[in-house]
Amino acid sequence: MFSKLIYRNAKRSRRENLIYFATLVVAVASFYMILSLGKQDVILFLREFESDAIDKLLTEMNIVYVFALFILFFLVLFANRYQLNRRSKEFGLYLMLGMRKERLVRQLLAEGFITSILALAGGILIGGILAEMISLTVSKLVGQGIIGHQISLSVNAIIFTIIGFLLIQFTALAILGGRIFYQEIHQLLYEQMDETTDMGHVKGNILHILLGAALLGAAYWIVLYRFSDFAGLLLFVALALGSIGTILFMRGLGKLLGLLASLSKHKSLQGLHTFTLRQFQENVANRSTSVAVTSILITLSIILIANGASTILSLDGLYNRNSSVYDFTVNGDSKKVGEFLSTGKMVSYVEDANLLEMGKMKDEGERMEDGMPLSLVDWSKLKEQLTMALPAPYKEQVLSGEMQSYDISSENPEALNLLGVLEMDTTTPHLISESSYNGLLKAVGEQPLNLNSDEIALYFNPDFMPMENLDQMPVLNGILEKAVKEGRSLLSIDDQAIIIRPSIPMRGLVADRSVEIFSAFVVPDPMFKQLVNPDTYASYWNFRIPQKMQAQQGLMKPMMEARDILKSSGFAFESYLQNFGRKLFYIVAGSYTVLYMGFLFLIIACTVLALQFLTQMKQTGGRYVTLSMLGAKRQQMKKSMQKQVLWTFLLPMFLACVSGAVGIKAMISFVVIHFEDVPFLYPLAFAFACMVIFIVAIYGVAVARSAVHEIDKLRWKPNID
Amino acid sequence: MVRQGKLLEVQDLQKHYGKKNNLTKALNGVRFDILPGEFLGIMGPSGSGKTTLLNCIATIIKPTSGRVLLNGKNISAFDSRDLSEYRGSRIGYLFQDFELLDNLTGQENILLPLAIHGMNYTKARGKLEELAGYLEITEILNKFPAQMSGGQKQRVAAARCLISEPDIVLADEPTGALDTRSAKALMNKLEGINKDSGRTILMVSHDPNAASFCSRILFIQDGVIFHELRRKQEERRERFYERILKVLAQLGGGSANVL
Repeated sequence: MFSKLIYRNAKRSRRENLIYFATLVVAVASFYMILSLGKQDVILFLREFESDAIDKLLTEMNIVYVFALFILFFLVLFANRYQLNRRSKEFGLYLMLGMRKERLVRQLLAEGFITSILALAGGILIGGILAEMISLTVSKLVGQGIIGHQISLSVNAIIFTIIGFLLIQFTALAILGGRIFYQEIHQLLYEQMDETTDMGHVKGNILHILLGAALLGAAYWIVLYRFSDFAGLLLFVALALGSIGTILFMRGLGKLLGLLASLSKHKSLQGLHTFTLRQFQENVANRSTSVAVTSILITLSIILIANGASTILSLDGLYNRNSSVYDFTVNGDSKKVGEFLSTGKMVSYVEDANLLEMGKMKDEGERMEDGMPLSLVDWSKLKEQLTMALPAPYKEQVLSGEMQSYDISSENPEALNLLGVLEMDTTTPHLISESSYNGLLKAVGEQPLNLNSDEIALYFNPDFMPMENLDQMPVLNGILEKAVKEGRSLLSIDDQAIIIRPSIPMRGLVADRSVEIFSAFVVPDPMFKQLVNPDTYASYWNFRIPQKMQAQQGLMKPMMEARDILKSSGFAFESYLQNFGRKLFYIVAGSYTVLYMGFLFLIIACTVLALQFLTQMKQTGGRYVTLSMLGAKRQQMKKSMQKQVLWTFLLPMFLACVSGAVGIKAMISFVVIHFEDVPFLYPLAFAFACMVIFIVAIYGVAVARSAVHEIDKLRWKPNID
Repeated sequence: MVRQGKLLEVQDLQKHYGKKNNLTKALNGVRFDILPGEFLGIMGPSGSGKTTLLNCIATIIKPTSGRVLLNGKNISAFDSRDLSEYRGSRIGYLFQDFELLDNLTGQENILLPLAIHGMNYTKARGKLEELAGYLEITEILNKFPAQMSGGQKQRVAAARCLISEPDIVLADEPTGALDTRSAKALMNKLEGINKDSGRTILMVSHDPNAASFCSRILFIQDGVIFHELRRKQEERRERFYERILKVLAQLGGGSANVL
């Protein structure tokens, strides 16, 4: 008998309360998606060469999972409370009929269990499909056929989803059941809307709005103009100010809406205008804090989604290899490697093979007092020229000795960065033999250097120098050209005057970033042999996949094949794949987490709004009966209801859009996100905006439909239209 | 001051509930007329069918058979669209528990029927002031129902049902939720409205005190009218009240039925 009742009640709550059930399903789906990340194609692919980073990511995902669990707990609690409030009369009746409270709570838990099982089934199904879709989309976007697809179903993820979801569902039910346990039957039977409409004083409300607006303004100002002060700590201040501002603003606004109702005399006699406005006001004023919180959640979600989307945009830059020339770098005995590269199975994958010879310069063999080796290089003239080229405030700092150390960043003037790099490297600079560098230049179709015997070139690694257009460093080249013209030497090595060749093309020396060189001297081969410190000498064979092969098969496939052959050879090697993988990893990890949180926040905000609206609807449903007794038509009431839903969703959305826009603007100007690929930008922005609007619209429509359904369900006298 | 012609005609009204074997005849052939300007009371014990009768006239339920004519129009045969036009404009309701919308101010509540029917505001302004003055609610027009006393709420509700100048006011136990003082004040006002502006009122009540304000009373039992009392010209209310009590004592067969 009771099992039947439990089953029927569970079924009824699902049918009658789609939003409640949908919330549970969404919770399950989002758990599953975060937990099944490890089975995504792109992650499996990356695991092959970035396994440490992936493991770290997956550990981080566990934190995200716990966080999501925590947030969704409140959502599930809220949804269950709404659901139980709806049924409080029924519970009162059970108790009146003599059911023991323990039994009632047990029955609730049993109902919850049935609903949970079904929510789990639905949620895992939906989550699985979504994860599969994401997996396919990402591998298509990234892999161009190289990332193989496999079904992303993960048993572990399912198990943890079930555990996590049941945990929060039962915690929520236990808390709420406990509350029922201590309520009197009368409270359950005649649960009324006990809040009296508190409209406050007009003056106080205006003060609230003004104060709220001022705090919001302050938060915007901090975000826009003081973004990075105090190591970003001010951002937290901005977040706090913005949140308090939003709450105050909503509180004042909700109550002032009544003023609008009494001001528009003309409109007040148009149908249910006043009623609609008052309903809306009640909804906002009585729950201004949660409306404000949804607004804040939507703001965060807009910012997060924009951030995640911009990360996706950089996928396009993944294949963008301005600086790196080579696909593979092989270490080891140069002769053996050279022979291996020309063997039959390998040779078809090799083009522009080039032996890079490098090493550090010898020192004088004597140590200075502080233990630093005494350098053969004297670059004081160059240093002086560079210092003179600094903008005024920096120049003073350098000349007065106030600036002890340099940092290298894209915001610094060119000369400052150069000073920094040279100061760091020039005691025993890296040397690259001219012939090696010529090989590199040849591969990219540039002229060889043909250095004179007293001539060198300065090389700066584009991978490590965060400067735009390394090829055309105007300050340095200006100084060097002037010196060449005047026949002056700015640098001497081992007391021999040296001319520096201006304007040479800079490219990545090897396939991967593992050779960490900021700067080097490119020197004629005889000078290289003479100056190089034999202990630091190293040689790398670099080559790239033939252009023709790339054109036919794409870069990835031959690269993977060549990788497999090299692996079997036993030589240590680095490939551009690692670099690619690392970049891909940052993009995937960044965008996935951020977008996930963004959509999670959005869904939570929408659910809270929806449940709140329906709670009010349920508590004040009798008003619609009165309205119809006064002659209101069903159509009029439905229209009023739709307007209420629309405003309820638009109000927090509106403020969130303003705050979100400010946030995005700040992120753009402080280069947290950057939009490089303009052609791709607008479609993507449009697509994500559509997704957000679509989600909100789904919730809006669902709420409006449930609300109309509620109207239909009111105890209508038979003849009321 | 009685005008010619019948305002409301109730013709052989039947309302049955349930199926053949288990049929309840809530109304079993009720017929009566109301003349313009009358203040008619309907009294009867619980289950006598008086609320069913009022609901039939109020177009809230459809009768099984019989007709209700308002100004010669058969409103019991109206479809729902026409009924909406009647409710709140031609027919005003006064409920036992006021049914004010508690998120609207008194004034907004009062003007709501006009808004729903899209009526002219400037005309309503004068009417609102007049009604509010008469019902002594001018001070509380901008308050919310939660800030009003029961008597004030019911007077606001009265203003709401009178604002559209309906042909007839249907009152269902309007004093049921009021204390005796507020009840008396309300009935005085209703009587005044009936006498001064000739508004027709049909009131259902089981309170003989409230009923003594009426000009005529129909007693209903088991779905039929079994008695009628008319207040004589110049008859004092106390006297009429005693006559009502006497009839009530007879209800259900009087003392003969006891034992």
